Amino acid sequence: MKPEELAELLKNTLGGLAKEVTLWKGYVEVLVDVDSVAAVASKLKELGFDHVKSVTASDYPKESKIRVTYHVSSYLREDLAKVILGLSVDLPRDNPVMESLTGVWRSSEFQEREVYEFFGVTFRGHPDLRPLLLIPELAEKKVLRKDFIVKEESIYEGVPHRYQ
Amino acid sequence: MIGVVLETLLYIIAYPPLWQVLIVGFAGALLVAMVAIWFERKAAARVQRRIGPYWASPRLGGFMTIVADMIRYVTQQVIIPFTVDRLAFIVTPVAVLVITILPLAFVPLSPHEIYWPVASMEYSLLIALALTTLPPLLTVVLGWASSNKFSVIGSLRESYVITAYELVAILALLAPAAATLSFNIAYIVEAQHPIKWFAILNPLAFLAAFLAILMSTSAFPFEIPESEHEVVAGPYTEYSGILYALNMGGGYIRRFIYAMLVALVFLGGWAPYTPGSGPLTGFIVPSLIVLIKACLIVFAMSFLRSVYGRYRLDQALDAAWRLALPLALLGLGWSIVLAYVNLI
Amino acid sequence: MKESPIGTSSGGALEGRRLEGMIVRKVERELYEVFIGPQHPGSGHMRIIVRLDGDVIVEADPDIGYVHRTMEKLSEVREWLKPIPLLERMTIIDACNVTLPYVNALEKLMDKSPPPRASYLRVLLCEINRIASHLYGMGIFGVFLGHSTIYMWAFGDREVFVELAEILTGARLTHTYPIPGGVRRDMPQDFPEMARRAVRYMRRRLEEYRKIFVDNPVIVKRLDGVGVISKSKAAELGIVGPNVRASGIKYDVRLVEPYEVYDELDFEIPVFEEGDSLARTWVRVEEIKQSLNIIEQAVEWLERHKGEHIIPVEDYNKLPKLHKEVYEKTGRVKLLPIHASMKIPPGKALARGEMGRGEIVYYVESDGGTTPYRVRVVTPSARNAMVFKYIIPGHRLMDLPAIYGSIDYFPPESDR
Repeated sequence: MKPEELAELLKNTLGGLAKEVTLWKGYVEVLVDVDSVAAVASKLKELGFDHVKSVTASDYPKESKIRVTYHVSSYLREDLAKVILGLSVDLPRDNPVMESLTGVWRSSEFQEREVYEFFGVTFRGHPDLRPLLLIPELAEKKVLRKDFIVKEESIYEGVPHRYQ
Repeated sequence: MIGVVLETLLYIIAYPPLWQVLIVGFAGALLVAMVAIWFERKAAARVQRRIGPYWASPRLGGFMTIVADMIRYVTQQVIIPFTVDRLAFIVTPVAVLVITILPLAFVPLSPHEIYWPVASMEYSLLIALALTTLPPLLTVVLGWASSNKFSVIGSLRESYVITAYELVAILALLAPAAATLSFNIAYIVEAQHPIKWFAILNPLAFLAAFLAILMSTSAFPFEIPESEHEVVAGPYTEYSGILYALNMGGGYIRRFIYAMLVALVFLGGWAPYTPGSGPLTGFIVPSLIVLIKACLIVFAMSFLRSVYGRYRLDQALDAAWRLALPLALLGLGWSIVLAYVNLI
Repeated sequence: MKESPIGTSSGGALEGRRLEGMIVRKVERELYEVFIGPQHPGSGHMRIIVRLDGDVIVEADPDIGYVHRTMEKLSEVREWLKPIPLLERMTIIDACNVTLPYVNALEKLMDKSPPPRASYLRVLLCEINRIASHLYGMGIFGVFLGHSTIYMWAFGDREVFVELAEILTGARLTHTYPIPGGVRRDMPQDFPEMARRAVRYMRRRLEEYRKIFVDNPVIVKRLDGVGVISKSKAAELGIVGPNVRASGIKYDVRLVEPYEVYDELDFEIPVFEEGDSLARTWVRVEEIKQSLNIIEQAVEWLERHKGEHIIPVEDYNKLPKLHKEVYEKTGRVKLLPIHASMKIPPGKALARGEMGRGEIVYYVESDGGTTPYRVRVVTPSARNAMVFKYIIPGHRLMDLPAIYGSIDYFPPESDR
């Protein structure tokens, strides 16, 4: 299945729920609303997408939003296995809360824990939401956001460094 | 004059209780343990396409590495953790070593009566077998005393394994007694003169005895209580220094004692050789022959390390109850048939 | 230290002797909690919290993160070319496979494509690394089961392939071979002969491995029927690599979305149906054989097409005279300083590749600057970590190494 065909299929199946469908290099992105994420996910699972490859979040401090993307694909259906679909959701930066999709795709469980500890996004309904990789003190600081700057040291005294 | 001195010296050294318990017992067991460890490391290394112990004494094949290891263990600091049960922790390895060597005090190494360590050898096989069943109980005590979860799991495994193989070992090693209608080891060895060894006449019992010894001394493929990858070293986790050496060496010494018994009752003892009188040909040479046969059995067991992996606990118990026990019973039955036919 | 349900009563060991900072928590009375922790010979760089009921595991919780090296955050502050050696360190034993999808993502954003000779060289190094990685996994697996012979043999034979990689790239493990547009070095003249000798040697050795490890009755008894992952469960949990191919799903990125020149090469994907640990071991052995075939084909193509470029022609034309001379004489590419601060047009790209352990996914986002805006990497071991939580409960404690070794979990890769 080609990416263009997938975009067509998505527009037909999801109708108004899909706010925006974009073709990037390597995957097809569909942007949905926060409230309809679970419904869209169930529809996609019925279409045949049965596992999650990656759960990513990108922080846009200028637009004050965090975009969470689920890249899903299929193991058991041959035609869908060749494409990757990106399900994106925009969350407000100061209170990022969304439904957890572990009820639909169990393979997103550990990766949602990662997004929780690195960005501070809370997933409602997650069976076991606790930090996966970091220690609790560091997980509170929401490490991967753009305003967390890691203090780097220069070996020369007094030389101004780009990162404070 | 010199002849008298030499004869007295020889008489003192070859005084049977001294010779058997101290020299063949402690010193011989220590030497055999070192040679067994050296052989195990060297044979495994050759199979695995590497060299093994080498640098300490290249011309001897690296044997001095083991001696160096022993010296290191003797001089290493013994760390006793805060939370263990001190008395049991320190005394048990020593007790295990002593009880392991005791069977040698009841075993004859020569047909002549004056060289026997105790006055009568009438029930020697039974006594020696009974004494070999004691050390594993102390291993369970080791695990409890260490107060460490991995030690407790290891001891529990050891207790399961004991229950399984004890019966097999005793039945298999008593098969020659059933064939010759006597518990006297000297009589059993005489009955195997010159080539009528029991291993050839009754291979089922020999095989069952071999399997039982592998299981009881934690040799591969049954190295279960001390398997390194689930329980760190089983009951021996918390030990360091000389106590560690006693524990690890204890396994090899136990294997040696069992191998001596097997060499005497299954492989004919000093069989093709007819001992003369006098201390040299009547005592030292037969005991050396028995020693060499026991060493061969220990080497055969050590070689299995490079070929096999490790069985799971319930699979090993399965092997004991469903494979080794019927084999031992069949061996016993066959011995009775042999006795009936008056083959011996 | 946790309070153990058995109690530590002998000698009054823990009563009143709590050390400073000890966290004590009540555990259920019937379950025995064991920490197979980072300082355990059988656990790797991670901790598995196991709750036992007798000898049967009731719950197993992977506690990972001991070797987290903040690769994603570091990639955001380094220029575009510098994450290549950084990301390679995630799985250093499989180095080319790890960095190749990142380079592919950059090429997608820059709209560049490598010349065919560079693609064949990349594929050659990828397959050499795949064989080395599988041998490493098999060796560690053997040691978990107590079989030290296969450990020594596998690591000794892995040396052959690590030396091949050294002849090709100059470094044993840290190759840093692909760059956006091509590769950094060309193949020496005597390489094809050495590669063919290595392939013949490995084929002979695989027979020996079969006799002593894969057909060994103790190993077969230990692995048969242990850790069965059914087809639907594998798809639900999202497991990757040889584990999913042993459960009946024919999924390999080289087949599904061929990258580089995999669609021109002739190889098979081994698939087994049973889904237990023995099937996973068989899949890895068969994959080594297929990789040997690919190496032979790649080397033959490279011999026939000598003297072609390994970087795109427009990049070659921009090189100054000294760089061109070095390139002609020794086949090495010296990057210009402009590469250190190159800018990539804005966009988002997703690229994936097949490592020895499974499928690796890179998501790269650019805003037009000199450093990436966001790099997200999902390694195969991070996705295989689900096996610990969902497949292990119900087995015995001694099955834990059998399952752990057979899924070939590599903690540094999983923690990134």
